[in-house]
Amino acid sequence: MTQLAAFNKMKELMTLYYIEAKTSTAKPVAWLTSGAPVEFVYAMDVIPVYPENYAAMCAASHQSVALMEAAEAAGFSQDICAYARTDFGQDLLQGGPAGGLPPPRFLVCSTNICKTVIKWYEAVARKYRVPLFLVDTPFLHDGLTREVVDYTVAQFQDLERFLAGQLKRPFDRDRLMEVIRMSREATGLWKKILDFAKTLPTPLTSLDAFIHVAPVVTLRGTRACVDYYQLLYEEVAERAARKIGAIPQERYRVLWDNLPIWFKMRYFEKFFEERQCALVAATYADSWGGIAAAQGIQASDPIEALAVSYLNIYINFGFEERIRYLARLIDEFALTGFIMHSNRSCKPYSVGMYGLREEVAKRTGKPGVVIEADQNDPRVFSETQVETRLDVFLESMLPLP
Amino acid sequence: MFTAFHEAIADISATIRTHQNRTGRAVIGVMPAYFPLELIHAAGGYPVQLWGAGGSVEHADAYLQSCCCSVARSLLELEMRGVSGMVAAYAFTSLCDTLVNLREIYRRLFAKPTLEFSIPAAQTHAARKAYLTTVLEGILKGLESVTGRAVSGAALRASAALYGRIRSLQREVYRIRRQKPGVVKSRDFYTVLTAGFFLPPEDYASLLERLVGGLEAAAPHAGRRPRLVLSGMVFDPIGAHAIFDGVHADVVDDDFANGWRSAAKGALQVDDLVAGIADHLYHGAPCCCIYNPEQDRHDYLVEKVKAADADGVLFWSIRFCEPDAFDRPQLAERLRQEGIPAFTLEMDLATGNFESARTRVEAFVEMIGGLAS
Repeated sequence: MTQLAAFNKMKELMTLYYIEAKTSTAKPVAWLTSGAPVEFVYAMDVIPVYPENYAAMCAASHQSVALMEAAEAAGFSQDICAYARTDFGQDLLQGGPAGGLPPPRFLVCSTNICKTVIKWYEAVARKYRVPLFLVDTPFLHDGLTREVVDYTVAQFQDLERFLAGQLKRPFDRDRLMEVIRMSREATGLWKKILDFAKTLPTPLTSLDAFIHVAPVVTLRGTRACVDYYQLLYEEVAERAARKIGAIPQERYRVLWDNLPIWFKMRYFEKFFEERQCALVAATYADSWGGIAAAQGIQASDPIEALAVSYLNIYINFGFEERIRYLARLIDEFALTGFIMHSNRSCKPYSVGMYGLREEVAKRTGKPGVVIEADQNDPRVFSETQVETRLDVFLESMLPLP
Repeated sequence: MFTAFHEAIADISATIRTHQNRTGRAVIGVMPAYFPLELIHAAGGYPVQLWGAGGSVEHADAYLQSCCCSVARSLLELEMRGVSGMVAAYAFTSLCDTLVNLREIYRRLFAKPTLEFSIPAAQTHAARKAYLTTVLEGILKGLESVTGRAVSGAALRASAALYGRIRSLQREVYRIRRQKPGVVKSRDFYTVLTAGFFLPPEDYASLLERLVGGLEAAAPHAGRRPRLVLSGMVFDPIGAHAIFDGVHADVVDDDFANGWRSAAKGALQVDDLVAGIADHLYHGAPCCCIYNPEQDRHDYLVEKVKAADADGVLFWSIRFCEPDAFDRPQLAERLRQEGIPAFTLEMDLATGNFESARTRVEAFVEMIGGLAS
């Protein structure tokens, strides 16, 4: 990955976060999905723990297979999401880089990333006999509507009551407003950092973004998160100003759609660098940067704006909107092509991807390729097949002028 | 007793076309699961329920990965091959991630209108109710634009009564199967349910009435054979049900989304339609695809097995169906704690050869037969 001085700070931040989550006796722990409205949880001084983030860490450190095998031996089918299997496995074995996650006092999940999380969190709720609060964010086939925003806001109010009941103290609205401000500040900085990849040469790649996204996933809403992204912003801004490229030669600039393949990060770094190809835009990393303001919806207060941002997520969009969004990224980042990861574990991202590739290629005139893989399961990854497809794609792509 | 039902599904396209021509109603393809058929019928449509099909998938491969469930893949294949040409519009539900995206694929590929019943999964009744109200308004408008007829109160009451009658008769067939194991072979039983997916409700209700009369008079077979409850999303492929005759076991009940989970619903209450639909969704038989923290599938299935005096549960698992697969290990564990053996049979709708499935079911039946004796 690109040698960024901020990396050590991030490592320290994430280590401290996991240490606190594992050892704190003063604060309760809740398990959350990556798209859950964590601001409410932080407002009540609860430590949010993210099984998705931990599952990715397990795969990146090449520990996911043993964990998934434990889950499969317990009866969980290989057909279900590999993040969920990794999570069930870490729970059974207390495995992975942090030696397992601390048990949850309650769970909060949201359907904006998938409906799979409902089933996953129901299983966790049964195992630990803890309550689950679900925020339902309907799929936006035809864009955002006032009714869907109202529905989400109503659920936020229910979430406040749920948290007050669980923690046996009134919900702290003032604190929530402060947390929301910090959350926005962090996501705003993250978006600005990602936008530096529009410069040529790009000062950071999407592979860097996949690593540096961890704090905005786990710590958004905290001061430490804002401070970290301020630091990273300054470093990346300086690299951009001084034209320091993330890779030595940049002949191709491409987009990555879908989750990273966590167990192959180093492999892809080398693969793309050797071929002078920079991954510069990624829908996954963008998901925490807030997508452009919703058409026709004027959020009148911070809670409503929060509802809009949790609904307005790339994989919660209908395909017309996804195509428009991909085409916009291809244009704004001056891309030479795009790569779509058909991810066995993630149906909302992957089902329909073959058709999307065709349509985006037609609309933008840029070539696209689909590779078959999985975010967390190396057993379904064929290096030969992926490499062959990517090489054909790279050969057929026109380089930068 | 079963001939008319078998005939209705021998050539499904021909059945639908015949009744479409006779009734003049617009055929609306209803995707899995729980779309209120009453609304389609009351709007002058002819709902046909699509739960997947057998046969190879070739065209749909260009749009759906092999790791998508065979229900979605086979349905797309039918439309791409033109087999579903008589379908004027599709009614989807937001049952799972694959179906949600499948609707988007249909919207990009085909000119046919699509509707969606977005099923609320909010925690509280109040939140669900408000959202459901807007969802229903959208569906009613969409149906009117397809059929050209607005849903009147009188039409809705008549449709609700008709479908309520059908499900009540289906529950009678279920009761008779439970009380007189062996009186209906599994393949015949699911043929009866399948015929209901494609026949106009008026015709189907008449056939069911005659069937219930006939079954009431039929004598059960002598002796007690191992009794099974089947659980899964769909009971297809229907050909696989012949296995149970060969292994001398009786299926006495089920927990299929297109079986009991649908048949268990009473007549739709239309005076307060939103409340009626909510009652259909969140009460009655629980489903792995409907989030409702007030229901527990574990207690429910244990009670079902006990009420049917069954000896074991066979999980009828369609590959790549995540909602069903997620629930299974804990459900199986709970059954084991109750002393109820459980076994998973993996299925794919494209499968036509059930020899290996037969061997596995046979071994399970021998095991529970030994336990029961």
